[in-house]
Amino acid sequence: MAELADALAGLNENQVARLVQQELDAGTDPMSILEECRKGMDIVGERYKSGEYFLSELIVSGEIFKEAMKVVEPRLHAEREGQTLAKMVLGTVKGDIHNIGKDIVALLLKAAGFEVYDLGIDVPPNAFVDKLKETGAPILGMSGLLTPSFESMRETVKAVEAAGLRNRVKIIVGGGIVTELVKRHTGADAFTDDGIEGVEICKRFVREIK
Amino acid sequence: MTAENLASRMARVQAAIRLEQSDRTPVSLMMDYKFPCRYKGVTQGEYFRNRRAGNQLVIEVFDELGGWDMVQAITSTTRDRDILEAPMRIKVPGKDIGEDEVIQWEEVEVLTEKDYDKIIEKGWKKFIYDFYPRFRGWDTGEYHSRMEARAPREIEQQRQALKFWEEREYPVFGGGDVFTPLMMLSCCRTMTKFTMDLHRIPDKVQAVMDAMVDDLIEVSIAGVKAIGESPSRWIPTKLLVLERGGCFYYPLRIFERFELPYMKKMVEAFIVEGITPILHFDQDWTLNMPYLKELPQGECFIQLDSCTDIFKAKEVLRGHMCIMGDVPPSLLSLGTPQEVEDYCKKLVDVVGQGSGFILGVG
Repeated sequence: MAELADALAGLNENQVARLVQQELDAGTDPMSILEECRKGMDIVGERYKSGEYFLSELIVSGEIFKEAMKVVEPRLHAEREGQTLAKMVLGTVKGDIHNIGKDIVALLLKAAGFEVYDLGIDVPPNAFVDKLKETGAPILGMSGLLTPSFESMRETVKAVEAAGLRNRVKIIVGGGIVTELVKRHTGADAFTDDGIEGVEICKRFVREIK
Repeated sequence: MTAENLASRMARVQAAIRLEQSDRTPVSLMMDYKFPCRYKGVTQGEYFRNRRAGNQLVIEVFDELGGWDMVQAITSTTRDRDILEAPMRIKVPGKDIGEDEVIQWEEVEVLTEKDYDKIIEKGWKKFIYDFYPRFRGWDTGEYHSRMEARAPREIEQQRQALKFWEEREYPVFGGGDVFTPLMMLSCCRTMTKFTMDLHRIPDKVQAVMDAMVDDLIEVSIAGVKAIGESPSRWIPTKLLVLERGGCFYYPLRIFERFELPYMKKMVEAFIVEGITPILHFDQDWTLNMPYLKELPQGECFIQLDSCTDIFKAKEVLRGHMCIMGDVPPSLLSLGTPQEVEDYCKKLVDVVGQGSGFILGVG
């Protein structure tokens, strides 16, 4: 099945679709197929970090992975229980309707094994808090591309604190104009403007929580 | 100290663009209504309900902050913007989004893959002529009648703006924006779908861009010329909106095939007509900077938004192209005045060394 990982890493969508169906038809365990797709995404991530791949390749690989999951996921059922790395709540903050970066990161996180609760765009602080309470997610990710989003991020962190959740929730902020200054101003634990780096930071959060 | 006037400010700005020495680095904040409204306690929604009052705030804040060396006051007519800028769903404060939220564009699929063949067949102008009324939900004839009737009024408003700033001794630069074919298609298809188009049907995408670029150039030039004032009173420019073709998104082979040739064609055509191209680079274009040496020397300038490494850009473009920028939004809104001043001084000292720099925001 290494051919599947290579096909995904090579962005060969037709071959990925064919191999996924071939494996399902052969009765291969859907979790194994998912894991092989994830290995392909890991290779994509390595190529991105080395400078061979760019955001465009993350987008294409993400779309190929998404299409593969449409076929594999219905077969997964109970196998998924306990298989996720961690739960994570994600959204673009209030006042901001940009979604591209967030959507790409959501896909990469899912491919990496996170169970992502994507609240969409223009998300008010209380919606993030409610979802954290409902899911017990230990990680919160906020995206923003506008200067006013800095205040929305800060208000959300304060809302998480007011809800008594801050001690058990790690927070990462991201977006094209997010910097160390923004991280400090908002009270987040980390920041990034790079999707792959964001996934690595979230994996680090998981290790820290455990 | 010699009193400032239109001529001294114009000379300073033109010297920077031409890579010549002048008395100091020019400054331009390119401030629109968003900051002045917030600064004066007026909501963004109020601006859209009363633009005359909102525009007066821009002038008040400009005066209060002491002014700067050039003002951007000329835009395209609504009719031309239909052709030159991507048809996207706009979310207006107080109407579509919160009262004091910033105007934004919603990224949804506006053009489908089937529209590619129509653009190739008709060209961009004819395609948009049919497309726009449907996109806005209007009757075609009524839509175009309204746009045609509006255009002379808007051109007269631009001339009045020119006269206003000339009387106050501030040079105006402007002439509106134009999206490059890549930026246009990416916005209209959505970035994800357009990226998949580049992956799946690159030859078709190139054919579409070939069918677009000449119309974008023609309408851009006609729009600037319609203002019709003497060049010495203002700096006719055309701002090329460039965000999605750079190395933050795509490898260089994509830039070389789908962005650079069209950008070059547009820049060279504008220069021939006496229009100064402004290459507005949103996001990171650091790896793309060396390609700008293929553009004419000292004839255009680039705007960087703090994502491109401006210091590396200067290393590459020293003596070839003027750079404008790039105080980061996070520094300007969250930094201390001293931190902002220190960064500005660093920009002036390093990027402004030997001329070819306009200090501005990122």
